[in-house]
Amino acid sequence: MHDAERITLAHGNGGRRTRELIDEIFATRLGGPDLDTEVDAARLRLPGDDWAVTVDGFTVEPIEFPGGDIGALAVHGTVNDLSVSGAEPVHLSVSAFLEEGLEFEVLVRLVDSFARAAKEAGVTVVAGDTKVVPRGHGGGAYFTTTGLGRIVRGDLSAKSVRPGDVILVSGPVGDHGIAVMLARESFDLRGDVRSDCASVLPLCKTVWDVPGLRFLRDPTRGGIATVAHELSRAARATVRLREAEIPVRDPVRGVCEMLGYDPYYLACEGRVVAVVAPDEADVVLERWRNADGGADARLIGRVDEGPARVVLETSIGGSRILDELEDDPLPRIC
Amino acid sequence: MSDAKAREWIEAIHQLDLPSRVRVMNVCGGHERTLSMAGIRSVLPKNVEIIPGPGCPVCVCPEEDLYLAIQIALHRDATVMTFGDMLRVPTNVPKREVRTLEQARAAGARVVPIASPSEVWDAAMANPSERFVFFAAGFETTMAPVAARIAEGLPENVDLLISGRRTWPAVATLLAGDRAAFDGLIAPGHVAAVMGPEEWLFVPETHGIPSAVSGFRPDQLLSALYSVLRQLVEKTPVLENCYAHAVPAGGNAQARRLLDTVFEIVDAPWRGIGTLPESGYGLRPAYAARDARVLHADLADESRKRMGEMPAGCGCADVVLGRIYPTECALYGTTCVPRSPVGPCMVSDEGACRIWWAGGIRSPEDLRTLHA
Repeated sequence: MHDAERITLAHGNGGRRTRELIDEIFATRLGGPDLDTEVDAARLRLPGDDWAVTVDGFTVEPIEFPGGDIGALAVHGTVNDLSVSGAEPVHLSVSAFLEEGLEFEVLVRLVDSFARAAKEAGVTVVAGDTKVVPRGHGGGAYFTTTGLGRIVRGDLSAKSVRPGDVILVSGPVGDHGIAVMLARESFDLRGDVRSDCASVLPLCKTVWDVPGLRFLRDPTRGGIATVAHELSRAARATVRLREAEIPVRDPVRGVCEMLGYDPYYLACEGRVVAVVAPDEADVVLERWRNADGGADARLIGRVDEGPARVVLETSIGGSRILDELEDDPLPRIC
Repeated sequence: MSDAKAREWIEAIHQLDLPSRVRVMNVCGGHERTLSMAGIRSVLPKNVEIIPGPGCPVCVCPEEDLYLAIQIALHRDATVMTFGDMLRVPTNVPKREVRTLEQARAAGARVVPIASPSEVWDAAMANPSERFVFFAAGFETTMAPVAARIAEGLPENVDLLISGRRTWPAVATLLAGDRAAFDGLIAPGHVAAVMGPEEWLFVPETHGIPSAVSGFRPDQLLSALYSVLRQLVEKTPVLENCYAHAVPAGGNAQARRLLDTVFEIVDAPWRGIGTLPESGYGLRPAYAARDARVLHADLADESRKRMGEMPAGCGCADVVLGRIYPTECALYGTTCVPRSPVGPCMVSDEGACRIWWAGGIRSPEDLRTLHA
C-alpha cells in the first residue's frame, strides 16, 4: 500500500487496497475486542437499560483547523449529542468518505485524532465503512458517526423548561466558528483563535444528577441564539440573554465586529448550555467551574413569562430581539 | 468602562427637558448598526426618534451602473471585481434576464467579490494577460483609499467603473425644502475624519439644526446624541466634534489631495432619488482611457424601462432619505427579506433594512414593546 502516498480510486474498489486501507489505517488505530473487520455487522451484548442512539455527518472545511480536525470533531460531535441527552457514550460506528488524492499522511493524522478522542470519551468503535469518491467530489474527507449510549438521565428536554428557569453556558462562545473561518478565508486577520472542539461529556456527567436540571444542549450550528429559540418555542416563553454575561473572547469579538457577525449565532463545538431551576444554578456553575473545560462557566440568561421570542439585554441596558438565524454566514463548519 | 459611560449618557439624556417629538438623523450605516445592535432606541425617552438617513452607498448606487457592470461581466472578456455587498443587488430587468452580479457569476461570468481595493491590484499583477474592471461604489471613506491606489499607479489591465458619492450633498438636499426632515444630525465620524468636520457646518449655521460628529461605540453615539439634544434644549445649534481624537480639523489633508488628484466633483444620480448637484466623484479626464463607462458605452441601454429606479413597490429611496422607517415599507419582511432581497437596503450590510432585520426588528410594534 505504501507505494502510493495518496488515496486513489483503487482504495475504494473493495479489493486488496480497500482491505489494506481498513486494516492498516483504521483498524490498527480504532480496533479493539469489539471491532471485527471481517464481518458485516457487529454483535453487541447490551444490558437491559434504556439506550440512546444518534447519528451525525461531518463535512468541515478545512479538514484540519487550529484546535481540531474532522477526526476529533466526528467523535466529539456524536459523543456530545449523547452527553447532552443524558446518555453515557459506549459505542461508535464510523463511515469515512475519502476523496481521491487525499494524502495518507493527512488521513493518518485524522484517524489518530479520531482514536484519541474516542479513547478520551471511553467509547469503542464497533463498526466502520470506507468509500472513495473521485477527485473534486468531496472535501478531502467526510465522516459519519453513529453513537450508542446508555441513558443515565432520561428526562432532559426543552419541554420541561419553564418560566423562572435560568440559562448557563460552560465557556466562551463562537471560538469554533471563527477559528474555522479564519483557517478558510484569506482575510488579513491573524487571530490566535482556536476551535473549542472538545468532548462535553465531563461537563454533562458532573451535572446529570442535579434534580433541577431541565435541559442540556451543545450549541453547534446557529450558536446559543439558536438554542435560545428552541427553548422559547418549547416553553412558549420569552428567553432573555444578558450580553454583558455571555463570555466571548476578545479576538472572536474583534473578528465579529470587523465582519459584522453576531457571536451569538456562531458555532461552538465544546460548550454546553444548561437550563436549570434558579435555586440550583449555583450547584451547576460550581461543578462546571471545577470540571475540565468549565472554568469560564456563566449564568447568561433566564426564561420569562411572555411571548415566545429571544431578547438580548445589551450591555448598555438596552434590549433587542435576537431573531432566528437567517443567512448562514459560514457553511460547512462541522 | 465604556458601558458605564453609556449608562451615564443615557441618564443625562433622560434629565433633559425635551420637546414632545425630537427627530435626530444619522447618515452612516456604521452608526445605524451600533444603534440597532446595542438596543439604543430602547433606552431613550419615547419622544426621541433616531432616523436612519443616507448612510449606504450601495443602496444609492445607480441602477444603470450596476446594469453596466453586469453586462461587462457577461459580454466582455474581463473580470469584474467589486465590494461584496454589490453582488446581490437586483437591477430592474425582466425576471428571465440576469438581474444581479451574483446571477452573472452563476451564468459563468467572472465576478469576484472583494473587501479591499488592494485585492484588485493583487489580482491584476498576478494575471497580467487578463483584463479587470474595478466597480467601486462608496462614500468618501471608500473613495479615498480607492483614489490613493489609483494615484499610486493603475495597472495596465485594470479599468474603472466609479460610482462614488459624497454624503453631505444628500443631507443638503433633505434640508432644501421648507420644512426640515429632522431636528438634529449625528454627523458621520469616518467621513469627517477624511473630509474634515467643517463640511457639516452648514447644518447648524445655515439651517439652525444642532449637529455632532460621532464615533461608533454605543457610548460615543450617546455622547453625540446628548450634545445634539442639549443644543436643541438650549437653542444653541453648533457642530460639536464628539469624536475629536479621530477627527482633526480639516480632516486628512493627504486623503483629500489624492481624492482631488484622481476625481472631479460631478452632479450624480442616486438610485430612486434623482440627480443631486455636486454629489458624485467622476474620473478626471486623465483617466478617460480607463473609464469603463466610456470603454463599454455600447453595453449601456438607456431605453430600458424603469432604468435608474428602485424595483416596483420598493421603498428603499424613501428609507435612504429618512422619509420612512424600514418597517414602514410594504415589502419589508413580506416579499423583501435578506435571503431574497428586493431592494438594495435589504442587501447591503450598511442598508437600514438589513440592519434592522439583523437587529430583530420586524414591525414598529417591536420597537415599542422593547422600550424600557
